[in-house]
Amino acid sequence: MSNGNEALYQQRLARYTAAMRNEKPDRVPVRPFAAEFAGKYAGFTNQQITHDFSKAFEAVLKCCADFDWDAAVGNMVYVWTGLTEAAGLKYYLTPGINAPANACFQYLEPPDEAGAHMKEDEYDALIADPTAFLANVWMPRVSRDVCAPGEPTTFRNNMSWLKGGLAMLAYFQGFGVQHERMRRECGTVPAIMGCLKAPFDIIADKLRGYGLLCMDLYRRPEKVEAACEALAPHMMHYALAGADPDKRIPISLWLHRGSVPFLSPAQFERFYWPTLKAILLELHRRGHQVLFYAEGDWNPNLKYIAELPDRCIVYHVDRGDPFEVHRAVGHKFCLSGGLPNELLALGEPDEVKAYCKKLIDGLARDGGYIMDAGAIMQDDPRVENIRAMTEFTREYGTY
Amino acid sequence: MDEQQAPMRPPGCCVPWDERRAECGELQGDEEVAQRVWEDVDQLGWLYIWSCLIAF
Repeated sequence: MSNGNEALYQQRLARYTAAMRNEKPDRVPVRPFAAEFAGKYAGFTNQQITHDFSKAFEAVLKCCADFDWDAAVGNMVYVWTGLTEAAGLKYYLTPGINAPANACFQYLEPPDEAGAHMKEDEYDALIADPTAFLANVWMPRVSRDVCAPGEPTTFRNNMSWLKGGLAMLAYFQGFGVQHERMRRECGTVPAIMGCLKAPFDIIADKLRGYGLLCMDLYRRPEKVEAACEALAPHMMHYALAGADPDKRIPISLWLHRGSVPFLSPAQFERFYWPTLKAILLELHRRGHQVLFYAEGDWNPNLKYIAELPDRCIVYHVDRGDPFEVHRAVGHKFCLSGGLPNELLALGEPDEVKAYCKKLIDGLARDGGYIMDAGAIMQDDPRVENIRAMTEFTREYGTY
Repeated sequence: MDEQQAPMRPPGCCVPWDERRAECGELQGDEEVAQRVWEDVDQLGWLYIWSCLIAF
């Protein structure tokens, strides 16, 4: 290991973790969630980085080497479509297969009851035994190859489980190597470790679809609540399985349908928040911090977020007013993000710098702020704007 | 929250050791080793299914 990069790594780790504790580091850390941007910057198509994770890893390493970022995600595109193809998952639009090679991958939510991955009368089966439901009912429905119990098995069924499992093992082991390379070759800290979702989001994203779930909120609200409660222990166990054993790097939490206008505050309070809050409190009790990626506008829910203990989460701002977030919960949690993605895509470097100044002046005065765009960076930010964000924060964000 | 609240198959478990243990009859060696390794590998199966749901 290069001593220079190890010293840099330790310096950046100290900076990143101090900010996440809502303390004042030596300067504002820069931690972009750079997804397809990294691939484009490194000269790859979206198909190449989505379908060949070694290229996605290389792209991130190139960004880490070229930009002075404190922390980065080993592969922010994350979904490796080699794996989803091996498992036969049907709910993807995959670049180069059923989408153009330079399109970003997309999820396809069930459009109607006939296409739902969980039918309206299957809540009880999910609640009774979630893992068995997933293996016996959900997987056969979402995979081209997996057979349901009772159906004649097929060669494709058998190979799908085998190839999917081995592919996942290879990919997850690859992440360990990637984190080590980021540290050794670039002195860059992994931004997140482990993954959490809200139980309600899982029902919306992967089981019922958002539209059908909205109907369920009125037709069978008790079932929705019970399903969230049945999923919650599994969500927490999954988050812990990938979490940083040293408890310095936060677990990522990608929030989808809890924001306005997807749910009203009353629906949020009844259906979304109780199980998610319980998971967050338990992770906090165990010493883990969570990166609360508030995708969309979550400001109407800030009064609930404020119920969490100090430093329980790092609150990432996407479309909400970052200054309102700071007034409401800045004394409790580190904030990150808030830089509009459209500015990075369409603005000029001087405009980016001016917005970064506004964010640093408004959010970072007492520490507890990490520079980043509001949303994950797909392939539209201009390179000169990413450079402007990084360099300005370096110069101006010093304490 | 108690991780073991789930009614039938707790988080991290696909085929419980008790189910496998009942098939074995009298064990000829160390049950603790057999159970621990069974559960470690069993968890990989759980991780696969739940990763498909949560992360992919």
